Amino acid sequence: MTSLSANLSAEDMMESSLHHHAVHTNATDAGVVMKEDKFRGHVNLRGNPQDTAFMVAVESVLGVALPTRANTSVRNGDTVVYWLCPNEWLLIVASGTQGQLEADLRSAMDGQHIAITDISSAQTLVNLSGSGLAELLQKSTVYDCHESNFPAGKVVQTTFAKTGTTMCKLEDGSMDFVIRRSFSDYFFLWLQDASEEYGLRVA
Amino acid sequence: MHHIYCPYCEEIREEEEYSYTGEAHIERPKDPASISDEVWGDYMFFRSNPRGIHHEMWYHAAGCRRYFNATRDTHSYQIHETYKMGELPTVTAPTKAAPTKAAAQGDAS
Repeated sequence: MTSLSANLSAEDMMESSLHHHAVHTNATDAGVVMKEDKFRGHVNLRGNPQDTAFMVAVESVLGVALPTRANTSVRNGDTVVYWLCPNEWLLIVASGTQGQLEADLRSAMDGQHIAITDISSAQTLVNLSGSGLAELLQKSTVYDCHESNFPAGKVVQTTFAKTGTTMCKLEDGSMDFVIRRSFSDYFFLWLQDASEEYGLRVA
Repeated sequence: MHHIYCPYCEEIREEEEYSYTGEAHIERPKDPASISDEVWGDYMFFRSNPRGIHHEMWYHAAGCRRYFNATRDTHSYQIHETYKMGELPTVTAPTKAAPTKAAAQGDAS
């Protein structure tokens, strides 16, 4: 993207997998509000959490320690780290910074047995909020999303209308969903149908 | 719908997130070239089919994407326990000896 000579930024040239749904903005009093957080950098990281050198190297790059407790996340400014399994994490960073992050991680962990994969173009981040969200979740996922079972900061990988998703509850009660770009159309069509009685607004 | 405890996610999740992937504790022969076709065939194709306690692998497909083991009663479908790969079951059939430590990674014999 560095060879662009026109006044177009890299983002002008990029197209989200949900771009064709941007026209679906309707009621301002909608019970469900969907907002896509487009083009974030998504980096999958694998390594051994029992290896101190690995944990220290990652913390030196990210500024925060990797979460080692199951189903948890940490935040540091624009950077979000999701626990995915005992030796796998998803790093979501500001748009366009994933290349540098990957390079920094590789140089900090030179020689270690690790895997870093840039999967930014494979998935997207969608935030759902609103008064109808709780009921929408009840009919969309098999997981218990009540706050007694799903506090802010918790991360759960489960199914959402039969497609896989990674959900994270935010402090404001809204939910972030990581969805595959190949399922984003399916995700939106389900959302449109399931939120019909509450009203859907695409912010 | 079953509720199955994932030893990696440390939570009970819906059966919908999992898939069954066959008998557990089956060890691949160390040197396939030196064994008879019969032994290889046993390893490759033959599985126990008990009525009662069965040790089997499950895959947390929609969750952490890890394989783990489960001890399930094939008669009642009750899942007695789930445990991580490399660990030994605590619930075993009364007539059959428990898998040895060496076979924890998988051995049918």
